[in-house]
Amino acid sequence: MKARCLTLTLGTAGALFFTGCATQAPLFQYRDTGDPVEDGIHAIENAPAKDRVLWQYRTAAIAMRLHKYDLAESLLDDALASIGGIITNDKAARKARSLFHAESDKRFIGEPYERVMAYYYRGILYWVKGEIDNARACFLSGQFIDGDTENREYAADYVMLDYLDGLVMQKLGNEGSNARDQAEANSRYETLPPYEVDHNFALFVELGIGPRKYATGDYLEELRFRSGKKQAHSAVVRIAGQKLDILPYDDLYYQATTRGGRVMDHILGNKAVFKSSTSEVGDVALLGGTLMMTDRNLREAGAAVAAIGLISKIFSASTNPTADTRTWDNLPQYLGFKSLKLTPGDHRAEVHFFDDEGKPLKDLNRSITVNVTEQLRNSALFISSKKH
Amino acid sequence: MAGPEGSGKQNVMNKNHPGKKWLQTVGLLLPAIWISGCATSGVQNPRGTEVTELKADERGFVTGTGIESQDLVSISDQIARQLMSTPEIVNATSPPMIVTENLINETRFQINKEIFLSRIRAQVNRQTRGKVRFLARRRMDVLETEKEMKQAGKLTSHSDPSKTAFKGADYFLTGKLQSLSSRTSQGISDYVLYTFQLIDAETSVIVFEDFAEIKKQGLEDAVYR
Repeated sequence: MKARCLTLTLGTAGALFFTGCATQAPLFQYRDTGDPVEDGIHAIENAPAKDRVLWQYRTAAIAMRLHKYDLAESLLDDALASIGGIITNDKAARKARSLFHAESDKRFIGEPYERVMAYYYRGILYWVKGEIDNARACFLSGQFIDGDTENREYAADYVMLDYLDGLVMQKLGNEGSNARDQAEANSRYETLPPYEVDHNFALFVELGIGPRKYATGDYLEELRFRSGKKQAHSAVVRIAGQKLDILPYDDLYYQATTRGGRVMDHILGNKAVFKSSTSEVGDVALLGGTLMMTDRNLREAGAAVAAIGLISKIFSASTNPTADTRTWDNLPQYLGFKSLKLTPGDHRAEVHFFDDEGKPLKDLNRSITVNVTEQLRNSALFISSKKH
Repeated sequence: MAGPEGSGKQNVMNKNHPGKKWLQTVGLLLPAIWISGCATSGVQNPRGTEVTELKADERGFVTGTGIESQDLVSISDQIARQLMSTPEIVNATSPPMIVTENLINETRFQINKEIFLSRIRAQVNRQTRGKVRFLARRRMDVLETEKEMKQAGKLTSHSDPSKTAFKGADYFLTGKLQSLSSRTSQGISDYVLYTFQLIDAETSVIVFEDFAEIKKQGLEDAVYR
């Protein structure tokens, strides 16, 4: 009776412990008014601070697709200011490393392919304004982020970023052939076109739906990626009497899955081992303690062992090795590029998208008017197979 | 509860009984763990961080390996100082006319390309008090409109607007930023070379050149690696 009473008390205390923290953080509810930009801004202002950069990324991508370049610029500048430095001695990061907090407690800056895309988009915005050297700086930063893969074969292997690096260098009067050679070496899809330095207009085209993250493993401690839903794989742009075939240079799913393990994966692995071993110790101690309590002479010792087991189980239950699956979920899968020469004035671009079998995706077709000014020696249009 | 002189049967819950001690210990331990577990959940840093005013040449607590305000201040001070001691400036019989031409950025850091030259110009103007003149080429649109309105007689003018012309440059002040960056599991390292030149507008001779270089490195928190 006494042992039961003790077990019941400990059990109740344990249950209280497990439920005590469940309702602490208020959950943010995404607002869907039908205006994705407004909803994105609302999320930036109201979501937890740790997710702020994630919402800035998502909203900036939407703004890019709606050609609200000024908004995209300010959102990306803010996001890049958060991710561009070296994050050290950060409370949230320390929490994410600790046994009892999830990885998602850290401030989101994204996996490398997501950070690369933030720089890539910012580079496009600089290009639109004619600042191609700053655009190149962003492309270099993107490539730099991809430079520390576990397997060096896949380090800094974005074809597009090297290709554009070389193109800008040539436009600025430098050689740029090293970067182009690097791009050629990494190219998996398209034969890269020669640089046309006198081309004054660039088409940055994104296609398809980007990778998604999910967690697997006994305790969801392993981060994995799955390819996005099938959508556009190529495009044709008709503008000023020219027909331009756009094929992908880069695949973000490939980029996400070829980096190898993260340092954080080792931390999560250690957490998982701790969780598993404390759970096993708890099981053995609880069972052993309960059995001991059936013997009158060992009742007190049994209670002690059971209590140790319960504490061990509590530690196990509190250990959180879950991988962070927050995803910049409106990224494309493929990146494409073409340059051309346009005379000053308005031009209408007709864009047609195709799937990976070459079948037209008529619902995605669109027509965009671009204005080319004499003042800008370089300008650009951003085209996405996503509506927003 | 058993009193101090409680019966033998009541010693089940006697204060010296090991079972009770255990209950007390575990009872205290669990809420303690529970409270400590929840104390930091919810809002991070709820009281925020007060605004800290720093000198522009001071290293703040938000840092990276890129181009920062302390670099801007130290480099533009150095270049302005060296520029003012250039023989072409010191020995000029009349104030040399200088136009600043945007820097070329070949680093991996996107920057406001005017900021270095703006600070150098302001520093030189502040120190030389008229011994050097900078021309406002980036304001030409506004200046031309003003001049046209004066020529049309729509605005007043101190001199005959049809006989005065915008001044031509004697020198161009420009520069280039280049970098070498590396990233490994040991950390991030960025070296940035800043070069500035004063170029004779008529002969293309580089009459002044100076450089500054800064290298920074660091290693980010493991959760971001």
